[in-house]
Amino acid sequence: MTINWWTFSLQTVNFLILVWLLSRFFWRPVAALIERRRQIARDLLDQAQADRDAAAQALEEARRRSAGFEEEREKILAEAWREATEARGALLVKAEAEIAASREQSRTAIAHEEEEAARVWTARAGELALTVAARLAARLDGAAVTEAFLRWLTGKIAGLPADARATLGAADEVDVISAAPLDPALQSRVGAAIGAALGASPAFSFKTEPDLIAGLELRTPHLSVRNSWRADLAQILAELKHDERI
Amino acid sequence: MKSPLVTECLFHLGGIPIGAPVVVSWAIMAGLVVGGYLLAHRLTLVPDGKQAVIELLVETVDNQIQDTMRVEPAPYRAFIGSLFLFILIANWSGLLPGVEPPTACPQTDAALAVLVFLAVIYFGVRAGGWRGYLSSFASPSPLMIPLNFIETLTRTFSLFVRLFGNMMSGVFLIGIVLSLAGLFVPIPLMALHMLTGAVQAYIFAILAMVFIAEGLESQAPGKPEKEAP
Repeated sequence: MTINWWTFSLQTVNFLILVWLLSRFFWRPVAALIERRRQIARDLLDQAQADRDAAAQALEEARRRSAGFEEEREKILAEAWREATEARGALLVKAEAEIAASREQSRTAIAHEEEEAARVWTARAGELALTVAARLAARLDGAAVTEAFLRWLTGKIAGLPADARATLGAADEVDVISAAPLDPALQSRVGAAIGAALGASPAFSFKTEPDLIAGLELRTPHLSVRNSWRADLAQILAELKHDERI
Repeated sequence: MKSPLVTECLFHLGGIPIGAPVVVSWAIMAGLVVGGYLLAHRLTLVPDGKQAVIELLVETVDNQIQDTMRVEPAPYRAFIGSLFLFILIANWSGLLPGVEPPTACPQTDAALAVLVFLAVIYFGVRAGGWRGYLSSFASPSPLMIPLNFIETLTRTFSLFVRLFGNMMSGVFLIGIVLSLAGLFVPIPLMALHMLTGAVQAYIFAILAMVFIAEGLESQAPGKPEKEAP
């Protein structure tokens, strides 16, 4: 066996050239790409880890803030509850005061209305009494009623003080008021009876006032003697009003 | 049948005789370089099928270097990877009709073995300097210097003889069977020859890594390495 040194040398050089060419065009680019991909993967992992750490830190911060928010929330709620309670108390006091004032006002208004209603009803009752009295008087015997009122009138004159009786007797003219006109005979008898009761003989002027319902009254410029159902009803109404005021 | 130990001259180039192994080696080189360039000149971060294959090849070479030599693979990747690819393709080239694998030629195997021998020296000196490299011959004892020196030569010779013997025998056996038995009978032997070729390429590359790693033992730990050209 002999070695062909030309072939040996050429193959040596050939392989060295092959190593150089493959290193330049194959091994290095592929290895560089693999290393680049690894570096990118490492960077991504590092970035992911950094993001993860940042996220964990942010989460911790959020939790801490949340705890702070919770505490602040409790504080605000407590403050709001306290203010609401105070406002509720104030509103209750105010409402009670307003209710009391309204109740008092209503009570006053109701009393006023009741008083007004009582006054109205008293007036109506008086009117009704007058009507009833008038209708009853119309059904009575006019002469007997006149006699009765004449007797009551002379009794009232007799019960007057002496100076009042003297004043009536000294009057120039005494008006004798009746509810219905008196015939002359009855006027004479009434004048005589009154003159006897007064102890004097003043001039009598007979006048008619249907409002009296029934009765005989004396009127002078300075003194009057009431003796009629209207006067009696007026007195009754006055007494009733007096009783209501009490 | 001509002797496999004789290299037939096909033509002369400037007075230099060019044999068939050289021509086939050029064809293999051209195929490897052009193919490697075409595969690697448009790489993307998201690989397609072809790119995944070449990345798998590079990572496998790197892993083998790391597992065998326990060093950073970048300075040795080009030499070891090219050695494996060239021997593998050269071994398999014998399957093509009329093509004799360059590794069945003793000059090619001798050249590769000598290059491994020189690479051991280069990387050893590069890692620890001449003193460091030469001191590795005195390990574990200066008495071992002659034996270590002889071992360096003999293992280089064994590299050459192992590859040449396996490939030459395979080619020779296939040629004999083909001449005796006909067209299809050598097919199982050719398949076996493919397996033998892959195994021999792997063994050659692994042994090259082992020899280079032994030369790096004198390298100081943590000393940075330069990338090989």
